[in-house]
Amino acid sequence: MIDNILYGMVVILAIFSLISIIRAYYGPTVLDRVVAINIITTNVVIIILLFAYIDRSFYYIDVAFVFVLGAFIGTLCILKLLREGHII
Amino acid sequence: MLLEYIAIFFLMGGLFFLVVGVVGLIRLPDVYNRMHAMGKCDTLGAGLVLIGLMLLIMDITNITKLILIGIMIATINPIVTHLIAKTAYNRGTPMVEGSFLINDYVASQRRRRRQRVEEIKKGDGNS
Repeated sequence: MIDNILYGMVVILAIFSLISIIRAYYGPTVLDRVVAINIITTNVVIIILLFAYIDRSFYYIDVAFVFVLGAFIGTLCILKLLREGHII
Repeated sequence: MLLEYIAIFFLMGGLFFLVVGVVGLIRLPDVYNRMHAMGKCDTLGAGLVLIGLMLLIMDITNITKLILIGIMIATINPIVTHLIAKTAYNRGTPMVEGSFLINDYVASQRRRRRQRVEEIKKGDGNS
């Protein structure tokens, strides 16, 4: 029973991640796109964690951890480029 | 069996907040309002789903990893939200029509400067 519920949650989260790509495409400013990419990142992390429980292979939790850190560094680089004009 | 039902409750709550975050991202009219939706989606949605998965997994190693991911998300997302707000305000991103802004920092600076000027004048009069 619980596996079917988790499969449904994964499908719903994937569909809503695809919907939020619309905002990343039509966003009027750059910061709208940053916000949309941030929400997509959170959804993908949750999808990876749910899939780790569905497949009973818990090493995917480390993948989610690395994904969170990589997304944080990417967002910081984009914001620093927007504020100061250079990254390094 | 009871634990599974509690876990399903938490997972459904988290799914509701994630979906609400995406709906707010699509429908709200402004960068700042969309940022508000993003914060709710990140903190509440991810936190509730992580609690539900902790109740399902029941293994001390993986629960520690999940707690670590929760701490990382709860630390990173306020930082990113503050930085996006600061960048949008410095770049002069237009707000939605009908919103207003109270700049309290400039007012407090003016008040402090006026107080200092009055103190200096009072000191001169006494001496």
